[in-house]
Amino acid sequence: MKRKLLSAILCSAMVAGALTGCGGSTDDGAAQAPAAEPAAEEAEAPAAEPAEEAETPAAATDEAVTLTVLAGQSTTDAGIEDMIDAALAEKYPNITLEWECTGWDGEFHPKMQQYMQSGLPDIIIGKAQDVNTYASQGLLGEIDATYLDRGLDAARENVTFDGKTYGLVYNALYQGVYYNKTMFAENGWSVPTTQAELQAIVDDCNAKGIVPFASHMVDTWSIGNVTMQFMMNDVFNTTPDWGDKFRAGEVSFADDKAAQTAYSYNKLIFDNTYPETFSTEQTDCDARMVLGEAAMKVSGSWSIQNFLDIDENFDFGIFPFPNQTGDSKLIFEPNIAIMTSAETEHQDAVNCVLDVLSGDKDLAVEILDFTKTASMLKDVAPTFPNPSQADIDEYASKGMIVDVTLGNNQLVWGGFQEENAADIAAYLQGDISFEDCLAASDARVGSSSAQ
Amino acid sequence: MKKKTMQDKMNRQYFLLILPGMVIFTIGVILPLLLAFRYSVTSWDGMSVEKEFVGISNYINLWKDANFRQAWWFTIKFTISNTIVQNVFALLFAVALDSGIKGQKIYRTILFIPCLVSAVIVGFVWLKLYSNVLPELNEIFGTNINFLLFGDGKTVLTGLVIANNWQWIGYWMLIYLAGLQSVPSDLYEAAKVDGANAVQRFFNVTIPMLAPAITICVVGITTGSLKVYDLLVSSTGGGPGRASTSVIQMIYSTAISGRQYGYGSAMSVTLVFILLLVAMIQVKGLKSKEVQS
Amino acid sequence: MAMRKRARQEEEINRKPYTASTFVVQVVMTVVAVLFLFPLFVILNYSFKTKKELYLTSPLKLPDSLQWANYEAALKKLNLTTTFTNTFIYTAVSVLILALLCGVTAWAISRGKGKFFQFSFVYFVIGILIPFQALFLPIYTIGYKMHLTNTRYGIIFMYIATGISFGVFLMNSFMSTVPLELEEAARIDGCSVVKTYFIIVFPLLKPAFATLIIMQAFQIWNDYLLASLYVSKKGLKTLTVAIQSLFSAQASDYTTAMAAIVVSVLPISILFLSLQKYFIKGMTVGAVKG
Repeated sequence: MKRKLLSAILCSAMVAGALTGCGGSTDDGAAQAPAAEPAAEEAEAPAAEPAEEAETPAAATDEAVTLTVLAGQSTTDAGIEDMIDAALAEKYPNITLEWECTGWDGEFHPKMQQYMQSGLPDIIIGKAQDVNTYASQGLLGEIDATYLDRGLDAARENVTFDGKTYGLVYNALYQGVYYNKTMFAENGWSVPTTQAELQAIVDDCNAKGIVPFASHMVDTWSIGNVTMQFMMNDVFNTTPDWGDKFRAGEVSFADDKAAQTAYSYNKLIFDNTYPETFSTEQTDCDARMVLGEAAMKVSGSWSIQNFLDIDENFDFGIFPFPNQTGDSKLIFEPNIAIMTSAETEHQDAVNCVLDVLSGDKDLAVEILDFTKTASMLKDVAPTFPNPSQADIDEYASKGMIVDVTLGNNQLVWGGFQEENAADIAAYLQGDISFEDCLAASDARVGSSSAQ
Repeated sequence: MKKKTMQDKMNRQYFLLILPGMVIFTIGVILPLLLAFRYSVTSWDGMSVEKEFVGISNYINLWKDANFRQAWWFTIKFTISNTIVQNVFALLFAVALDSGIKGQKIYRTILFIPCLVSAVIVGFVWLKLYSNVLPELNEIFGTNINFLLFGDGKTVLTGLVIANNWQWIGYWMLIYLAGLQSVPSDLYEAAKVDGANAVQRFFNVTIPMLAPAITICVVGITTGSLKVYDLLVSSTGGGPGRASTSVIQMIYSTAISGRQYGYGSAMSVTLVFILLLVAMIQVKGLKSKEVQS
Repeated sequence: MAMRKRARQEEEINRKPYTASTFVVQVVMTVVAVLFLFPLFVILNYSFKTKKELYLTSPLKLPDSLQWANYEAALKKLNLTTTFTNTFIYTAVSVLILALLCGVTAWAISRGKGKFFQFSFVYFVIGILIPFQALFLPIYTIGYKMHLTNTRYGIIFMYIATGISFGVFLMNSFMSTVPLELEEAARIDGCSVVKTYFIIVFPLLKPAFATLIIMQAFQIWNDYLLASLYVSKKGLKTLTVAIQSLFSAQASDYTTAMAAIVVSVLPISILFLSLQKYFIKGMTVGAVKG
């Protein structure tokens, strides 16, 4: 009974997929059909052959398919589900998405673990770093090259394992130091490339009663985030496999000067930020920066939305946080990554969704403008005014950008970076010593990798 | 002899009455607990298919885990503060409302409304209050009170206790108020005749008569506080540092984002046992007082 | 009889003399009430502001004009009619079944003689103490295997299972108020155990049921964990879950989130205000054992 039902569903999905002319994996469907009950064969005959020609999506309206979607969203992503629904309804009105939107930070992973017990939703939207975690459990389906080819090649690197790509990376965030351009011009500061130059600006700020750095340390994740930025340029820049060496016992936080330097930048920020940073949450922090209270903020593209919401004329730029060697790169982070369940019963419908996401440029621009992020699709560029775009383009043209997914795969976020951030906060608060803080990170070596 | 079989027969019927509840309870509550116990002797990461048996090593590691101890320490401090503050104020407010003031219903409603708001939201609102709203009062009144309670490990507990009490005092007050209003007034009259003053009447008449209400409130507040989680998520997130990380929060982050489900389960099992112990002691202690009165 | 007695008591309370010290108490409580209202005022105030006002003006300043758009957005995102109805159904059904079940169970436990019944009591009470957040994975696994997830009866089943502990604990403490002689008399008249319960005991426990229903209703109404595990499908979601997802999503745009809080708290507040009399009555009798 159950198998019959399954094959019936399979059939209808195939018919739907075939009729809508979204042929991404018709062979996939055909390969599965013979394995199913014979009942499927009747439906298969008319469906499989004319698949490629039939390009009238409207014909399939009655073959309704509902796909489940779990979306782990950052604050700036909330709302894109409506945009996707609208775009999908236009092209494939027969497909309905049943969204379950959760916060990526707190609820996404519990939800994933929950669904691992019962079967994953058809589509999962998370971050690029999740692909590593879940693909290694064999849970994710391979994404068809048709859709991947519409994305930038750089987007594939960190979501590909053993030659198979499990995530469609949609957009990217840039991370670095956002700075108030007007303020920099007024005070004659130029973009610092070394620690000494940065220190000079900090000193000048302090002399003039300007807060050097805006920060919101009440959010432990923000400490974790900037620490990874520091690690990227001071540690992974020279030792890309630092995490592997760490697990092999060759390096440790207690011994590695570079890693310690990266940690200690937090102290530099803490000593030069709002005294109430541990009570300040993100929107207030950003608002105060826009109002001219602070000169710089180590952050990521997610701040742009706030900046521009508060004052659409706020003029800001971005530079990488200077490292010891003066060769810091601007960090980009592939953000929204679309994953699919390895065991979905509606592969064709899923492919239709991937088709819309990777192919609908208007939708892409709408989403990028809304989330204030950079595109990871070919020939798509957001149109929102981004004062920091010129800086990004410049670093990109000089090849001075680096994908933080490297660092996040070497030392994972959940259970490691996140926990270390709590220790760093405790150190800044004076609860524990710097040595204890380093020792705690070393003791956590067992949780430093997703494998 | 006949009486015994009679009791047996009735016991059988009583047993049948208990059965449905017991089955539901066992499936919904005890089975998950047993399952958690099973996980706690494995090194399961919460995701993979295999669950490697590791014996009691998770429990041994717990003893050495300084963060776990710290989480317990915070939870205990939070629980004790809450139990005392909430009970005392709930009772005080109840007595105040029962003292014949006008508009009792309005006060009752105002104090009660916060508990209709979910704890997650309460946490967020108080974060805003401490960091934005209250400091604004300093500017208006030219005072210099430190309202940034969530920003420092030394004050975060106070901040959370205030937020938690704002939410729940009204609820427990209602129970006390209800208790107070049904204390027969002739008892007070009798005490008055005996020459007891207001304070003596409170301690000799009111408190004993409220004993059942006190049991409900104390056990309710204690166990509720030991399980604190929702309030922290959107306010301090367990910080600054680890200063306000509760046991449940630690279990959650270890088991889920830390991918150590087995170890996290050992923490859960430990927590259940300790909760059980505390409640047993409390119920025993409070019940014996009830009997005396 | 009892009713009349209580009515008389209430009159007496109202007739407490209004002295100077009562006035002092009145003043103090007014201050307390204002302090309690303050956070609510802040929520309300935020919910009517524009994003810019939120960032750029003092949090205490009233909005220039009331932003009803925040409420429109909140109403749309909360899907209020569905989520409210769902929450109401889950709460009402669970609470009614709980009252029935906890009553008989607690009574049977207190009347049965022998080790088994003592053990049963402890067994049930364990449930009060279980931190369900810490057990969410096993709870989900078992629910899924028994086809309880994403169904209305599944979530109701879980609310009953998790609520029965406190219910039995509470009801058990009321059992001593039921005179054994009455039960014995009924039995001599030939009543069966079940009949004795429904004819003699049940009516006497009415006040206790009121307490039980009120306390459990709050628990279930505010529940986030079980609801998020068991009813994550769109049409089955509860209010708390809807608010929560709106909240975590709109953390940077919390004017809408604040409007959502107001919208969600309003119906239950109105419900509470209109039923307040019964609530208090239930609590009154409850807290002093009938």
